[in-house]
Amino acid sequence: MRAALLIAANFLRQHRWPVLLLFAWIVLTAGATGDFGRSRPVNVDVYFYFQQQAIFICIFSAFLAADAIHSERKSRRILLLLSKAISRGEYLLAVMAATWATAIAYAILSAVCGVWLTAHAMLPSAGLWPLFTLVIAGALVSASVAMFFSTFLNPYLATGCTLALFSIPAAWHAARHAGAVWWPGFSLLLQFLTFTLRPDWAPRWSTAAAALLESVIFWGLAAIIFERRDIAVPVE
Amino acid sequence: MPGILDYSYVTKDYGTAWSRRRVRALDDFTLSLERGEIFGFLGPNGAGKTTAIHLALGFMRPSSGAGQMLGKPFGDAKTRARIGFLAENVALYHRPAAKLLRFYGALNGIRPQRLRLRCREVLRQVELEIEADRNVAKFSRGMQQRIGLAQALINDPELLILDEPTSALDPVARVAMRELLLESNRAGKTIFLSSHLLSEIELICHRVAILSKGRLVKVGKTEELLVSHDRYEIVARGVPASSLESMPQVRVVSLNASLGRGVQLTVAAQLQREALEKIWALGGEVLSVNPVRRSLEDVFLELTGKGGLA
Repeated sequence: MRAALLIAANFLRQHRWPVLLLFAWIVLTAGATGDFGRSRPVNVDVYFYFQQQAIFICIFSAFLAADAIHSERKSRRILLLLSKAISRGEYLLAVMAATWATAIAYAILSAVCGVWLTAHAMLPSAGLWPLFTLVIAGALVSASVAMFFSTFLNPYLATGCTLALFSIPAAWHAARHAGAVWWPGFSLLLQFLTFTLRPDWAPRWSTAAAALLESVIFWGLAAIIFERRDIAVPVE
Repeated sequence: MPGILDYSYVTKDYGTAWSRRRVRALDDFTLSLERGEIFGFLGPNGAGKTTAIHLALGFMRPSSGAGQMLGKPFGDAKTRARIGFLAENVALYHRPAAKLLRFYGALNGIRPQRLRLRCREVLRQVELEIEADRNVAKFSRGMQQRIGLAQALINDPELLILDEPTSALDPVARVAMRELLLESNRAGKTIFLSSHLLSEIELICHRVAILSKGRLVKVGKTEELLVSHDRYEIVARGVPASSLESMPQVRVVSLNASLGRGVQLTVAAQLQREALEKIWALGGEVLSVNPVRRSLEDVFLELTGKGGLA
């Protein structure tokens, strides 16, 4: 476990600049939405900020996880890592932990910016923390699905397949005007899109729990496939 | 008794399951390393040396056959804590040298206190002690190679697997590396050394294997490989070189002061008896008869059928 944490910390260190840049993006968009204090933001802008941040965190997590194995293989740094006493499952766990840590940091920063924004818009902020807790679950499931695909596809296809896995239930839902909530990722997405700061909005925690379970399943599948993959051959 | 690293009829094919074009990188490869030896692994580019190493480390799986490293099947994660590996064209994270070594050491489960000591020791061994706090991104390729070796040594491994460890080194660093490998071997480490530098292999390896097109073409003790039993070198005195003109490769050599001048003949094994009888018939004295010693390069070129190294 210590080895996995070390690799996760190293992974975060490797990706610190894009991560910090996106932290700045969160603050800037919050500032822009709040119009830098000149006037009170309208509710629709505040909701849009939360919804786009929620979806953005999930997509970013998918991108980060999808590229992790590929970039390490391409740089050949993975060879020295996996020549140490760590299993491939541990390695994937480390990448997942790093991606999740990034998503948690994003979610907390978004929530903090959200508290400022809601105060500025004179809206209640109680619903923000449950929303961003769901976002963390969403980021985890999108990262684990992306990682699963990246064990046998290049990062672009892996990201595409991840998005498709979220989009297909959405398309189904749009066509039938119902259903597709069986897919936790999509169910979370629906909650983000229907989020309001009114007291009648209630998070469905069962979806978050299902998302966590799904993440574990995808991580397990990724570990099984990755264990059987040749990692020392040139990547395209 | 099993060796420290055993390959048993290992075959490795590259190519996807649905692809018709498959490349056989390793073909029915069997090899066993004994504990405490320095083993040289030779072959032209594409012969399958790196594939064999990567199979042992579990980076890839054999298409058929199996192998063991330190008594455990290839790819066993815990076993890797007892080995050190240096990859060809080593790729390192851009961190200060000491921190990087501690990172790799910690992955092998070394405790922090011991790790700090080992880190200092190996940096001293690779002569980079004063560069401990410098980012390896700013190192020359040779220095990076030495840090690569340091990370392989950090866990005090029983088995060192080195893929082209001297490829980026200048002659002085190469000598230092050779000394370091010999010192590690004296400390009890088994070394599996893949290299193109035949002179290095010839100097330090106890045994050598030569791989060509995925097949093992020769394996044996370095000394035995270098001795040719096809040709013999005969040194004699008391016989004029001109009288041996019918014999191939006759040349006059200076013997030591007390013995004066003599002749040296290199003859094929089947002509050895004839040559000796001729010398005796001419009243000469045979001083020595020895098999001709070849360079490892000669052996390599002969076995791989190459006109030059790739």
